[in-house]
Amino acid sequence: MGDNIGKVLDREGFKYNFTASASGTSAQDGVIKEQDRLLPIANVGRIMKQILPPNAKISKEAKETMQESVSEFISFVTGEASDKCHKEKRKTVNGDDICWALATLGFDDYSEPLKRYLYKYREMEGERANQNKGSNGYENNIANI
Amino acid sequence: MQTVYLKEHEGNAHNFVGTLSSAASAPWWSAFGSQSVHQGESCGQVKPFSLELPNCIDQLAATKPLARGADQVLGKGHITQFTIFPDDCKMSDDAQKLQTTMSLQSSLTDPQSRFEIGFSLPTICAKYPYTDQFYGLFSAYAPQISGRIMLPLNMTSDDEPIYVNAKQYHGIIRRRQSRAKAVLDHKLTKRRKPYMHESRHLHAMRRPRGCGGRFLNTKNSVDGNGKIGNEVHKTVGEQLQSSGSQSSEFLQSEVGTFNSSKETNGSSPNISGSEVTSMYSRGGLDSFSLNHLGSAVHSFADMIDGGRGMIIPTKWVAAAGNCCNLKV
Repeated sequence: MGDNIGKVLDREGFKYNFTASASGTSAQDGVIKEQDRLLPIANVGRIMKQILPPNAKISKEAKETMQESVSEFISFVTGEASDKCHKEKRKTVNGDDICWALATLGFDDYSEPLKRYLYKYREMEGERANQNKGSNGYENNIANI
Repeated sequence: MQTVYLKEHEGNAHNFVGTLSSAASAPWWSAFGSQSVHQGESCGQVKPFSLELPNCIDQLAATKPLARGADQVLGKGHITQFTIFPDDCKMSDDAQKLQTTMSLQSSLTDPQSRFEIGFSLPTICAKYPYTDQFYGLFSAYAPQISGRIMLPLNMTSDDEPIYVNAKQYHGIIRRRQSRAKAVLDHKLTKRRKPYMHESRHLHAMRRPRGCGGRFLNTKNSVDGNGKIGNEVHKTVGEQLQSSGSQSSEFLQSEVGTFNSSKETNGSSPNISGSEVTSMYSRGGLDSFSLNHLGSAVHSFADMIDGGRGMIIPTKWVAAAGNCCNLKV
C-alpha cells in the first residue's frame, strides 16, 4: 500500500514540479514523519501564489491549512484508486486508475481535463523515447521514418 | 503484508456480521473486534491466522442457537475485559488517553459495520438497508435527501448528522478507518515540528542577526532595504526557477534571500498575535528560516525533476531575466 501511494505521489510530483518521499520506507520505522504525510509547504505556497495577484500575501496558517487539505485529498483519491487495483489483483496504481477514481468519487469536472493531460503526457513521453533512440544510430532513424 | 491485511479484514467482516445479527450485544462484539484487530497487528504473522480461525468458529456457533448465542456473547465480553487490562498496563496510558482510545475504537466499529453493509448488498437495494440503519441506530425520521447519505456520528464531533455525496461515502469511511488506525499505532505526530533537521536549526541559531531579527551577511538583505516587498517577492520567485544554474557562492546569498522573504511573510502572524509562535519571536524566526532551507533543497529537487526537454527553455529564459535583475 505504501509503495503504491509513493508512486502516485511521484506522478503528482511531476505535474507540479516537486518530489515527495515515499511513505513505505518510514512506515518500517514505525513512525510516519510529518514530511512523509504532508506535501512540502513551500511548494504548496508557491502553487497558491500562482493564482493570486503579484502583490498578494499568504499567511502561514493558510498554507498549513491548504497543506493538510490537499494531502488529505490525495490520500482520499489514491485510496479509491488503490481499492480498484486491489480488486483487480494489480499492484501498480497508474494514471488511468486516478482518473477513474476521480470520476467514481463525483469529481467529473476534474476527471476529463486530467484524462486529456494524461493523453498528452504519454504522447510527449513517446516522442522523447523516439528521440533518444534516434540519436543512437542511422538505422534507428530509418526505423523511425 | 497484504495477506495479513486481508485476513484481518475478513476477521472484521465476520465480527460485524455477528454485530448485525444481534443488536443488543453490539458493544461487546465491537469492542472484541477492535481488540482482536489490535492484537493481530501487534503479533507476528502466524498468530493472527490462529486467532481468526476461532473467531470464525465462534461466529458459526453463535448463529445457530439463540440462547447459546447469548452465552457466547457474554463469554466474549469477559474475554474482552481480560485482554484490555494487560494492554493498559503495557501502554501505561493516562485516563484521558484511555478515553481517547475507547472513543477511537467505538468510531472504528460503526464505520466498519456500515462499510460491511454497503459492500455485501447489491446496488439496487442499497438505500433500503441504510434506511433501516438510520431508524435503528439514530431513531430519527430525517428526510432522505437525494444523492446524500448520512455519515455515522463521531464521538469527537457535534451531534448534528452530516450528509455527504453518496459516491464519496465509502471513500470517507475508508479514510476514517486508516486515520484511526494510524492514530492507534501512534504513527501520526499531531504537533508540527518547528524544524526538520537539528543540525540546520543549530546552524541558523549561530548565524548573526541584525535589528528586527534578520540575518546579517546577506547581499539581498541590503538590497531589500531599499526595495518594495513586491519586488523582493518577484526576485525570489525568479531565483527559485533558475537556482540550479547558479554557482555555490550565489546559493548562499540565495538562502539568505529566502530567509528575508519568509520573514516578510511571517510578519503578519506576529501582528495578529493569536499564535503561540508569535509569543517567542526568536523561535518563530528559527522555524521560518529552516523552512527556507527545506525549500532550497526542494528547489534542487525541482531542477532534477525538471531536467526534461520541454521545461529547460523556460528556465533558461528565467535565468536570463535573473541576470538582468542582478545587474540592476
